[in-house]
Amino acid sequence: MHAICINRISKSFGRIRALDSVTFDVPSRSIFGLLGPNGAGKTTLFSIIASFLKPQTGTVEVLGIDTGHISQLQGRLSIFPQDAQFQRNVPILDQLVFFRLLDGRTHHEAQNEVLHTLDLVGLQSVAKRRVGTLSHGMLKRLGIAQAFLGHPEVILLDEPTAGLDPANARQIRDLIRKLQERATIMVSSHNLAEVQELCNHVAILDHGKLVLAGPVDAITRTGREYNLFLSRPLQENELENLSSLGGVRDLKAITVMGNTQSKESASYLVTLDLSGDHTNQDDVLAALLRSILDMGITPRKITEGRSLESRFLEVTGG
Amino acid sequence: MSLKTVSARHIRLIASYWIRYVVRSGAGLVFLLIALVFSLTVAHIIIMPVEQIMAQQTKSDQESNREKIVTTIVELSRPVIRWTLGIKSDEDDALFGAMKQGISSPPEVPMLEHVMAQAQPPTHPWTTFLLDERPALLSIIFLILIFSMPFLIAFLAFNQIAGDVQNLGLRYVLLRTERANIFIGRFLGTALFSTLVIAVIIATITFYLGVKIKIYPAGLLAVWALHGFLALAISTLPYIALCSWISTLVDSPFLSLVIAKMVIGGVLLLAFLGSLAWRPVIYLNFALPWGIQNHLLHPQLTHSLGTTLACLAYMLVFLFLGYYRFETRDL
Repeated sequence: MHAICINRISKSFGRIRALDSVTFDVPSRSIFGLLGPNGAGKTTLFSIIASFLKPQTGTVEVLGIDTGHISQLQGRLSIFPQDAQFQRNVPILDQLVFFRLLDGRTHHEAQNEVLHTLDLVGLQSVAKRRVGTLSHGMLKRLGIAQAFLGHPEVILLDEPTAGLDPANARQIRDLIRKLQERATIMVSSHNLAEVQELCNHVAILDHGKLVLAGPVDAITRTGREYNLFLSRPLQENELENLSSLGGVRDLKAITVMGNTQSKESASYLVTLDLSGDHTNQDDVLAALLRSILDMGITPRKITEGRSLESRFLEVTGG
Repeated sequence: MSLKTVSARHIRLIASYWIRYVVRSGAGLVFLLIALVFSLTVAHIIIMPVEQIMAQQTKSDQESNREKIVTTIVELSRPVIRWTLGIKSDEDDALFGAMKQGISSPPEVPMLEHVMAQAQPPTHPWTTFLLDERPALLSIIFLILIFSMPFLIAFLAFNQIAGDVQNLGLRYVLLRTERANIFIGRFLGTALFSTLVIAVIIATITFYLGVKIKIYPAGLLAVWALHGFLALAISTLPYIALCSWISTLVDSPFLSLVIAKMVIGGVLLLAFLGSLAWRPVIYLNFALPWGIQNHLLHPQLTHSLGTTLACLAYMLVFLFLGYYRFETRDL
């Protein structure tokens, strides 16, 4: 079952082709990442899904309903649009209560829901302040709060954490994960590490065209990266032995600022190739760690690398 | 098109919140201020000479001179009113001829006025109605306000859509209601606010005339004030709808204001200047309600009702054009 079906969507602004016959589906209850360089068409696609923009060709279905009849999705689809502004001279509470009143709530219900949602994004204390007095980060969280209002089944978030400090970005990511239990969430972001951490499916756009779409696991299968921190640096022959293990595509020392590692440092980037039918990530990692232990070296830390970023740069030619 | 799913509840909500936004954003306050200052200044200019004459009278002869004052005002303003209403002199001649033949009887006028009437060309029933049968001071103020309100209303109505398209603020509501509800709700909110402002203006002027000047019976003053209020309120509706339409055509509030002003004033100016060279150009006035709006103060009820319907028809046409553009455009 797909929450969003995008079928051959094309959109031009004058001579500029913003989207060119884009087709993909967003699975239900997934956190779906929409990636692409600047000007790739991410925001245009979000705007078409939400029916702000009319496509020249193609159709979009959300929850089985053609977005040409967007009114049938009232209350079921919400969006955090990039760069949209609230009324500057009106208190936050008034504006969000107005949105809930439109959704059919009584004033009392609306106010309670709004205060609860503002609490989730850490804005309850400024609920009665005018929007014009909020900082950039607060405005961002306010926009996200309005998208989380009510019980939408599909939520579109256009660069939700851009411009937020790490703590607030983390808070928003946690909220998104929590909401996945009851909603499908589509996120666009330039932060590929964040998308890799958060999303289970992605689509990559480049110059208005879809260049890659699918589960993150499948997309990064041929180049799954891990950072490996060892108790001591590897000798040449040890490096060769480990590189020749089945499923290991590459093993190289991590360079910092263009220089090769210092003698004391023992950080490595392992790239796995899991494209073989029966190649399992855990089996390959276990074999690798076992070999390292056999060499008398202690693996001190292993963290997920930037597999998605590498794949992204590969397909967008970055 | 989503007109089928228009929701009265959403429209009411959007209209009431729009009034708050308009006031808080400053456009509403600017309009209120400009409309009040302009209208009260006009009223002051019209009423001040009367007050000055009255101040010069002794208490004993105040009563006897009251009629003289009114007659003087009426006769001074009659040519201006005739020109404003577009009454041609040949119409007067025809009317004069008809009156001579007893088709129409002249209104009962006081002795002084009768003498003046004999010395001047005869009057048209419309000017007679406005200046002799109804409180003349109020009629003059109404005519000036009906002429000026279209220019003032643009200050209130120019930003119904354009600003929120420019800053993308509309995107927060587009998934929560129909575009039709937003468009109609904002139009109604603007119309309601302007009607409230007009009511305050008319009430203030009428109250002053009734309490301070005391030259007209209170009942007549109240009824004519109500008529004038309705005429003003109705005459502004097509211009608000025109501004709604213009506001959907451009993304810049400033440009929307400039275009609205240019269209409203430009039609009038072109029709006037053009008609000097070629008379039929005067019909350009009918592109907007300029050509008919004064008829809202016509003595015949059927005539003013017909004008009301015509104004509403203008409003509906502009609203439809605006709605169609708003519904089909990218936001």
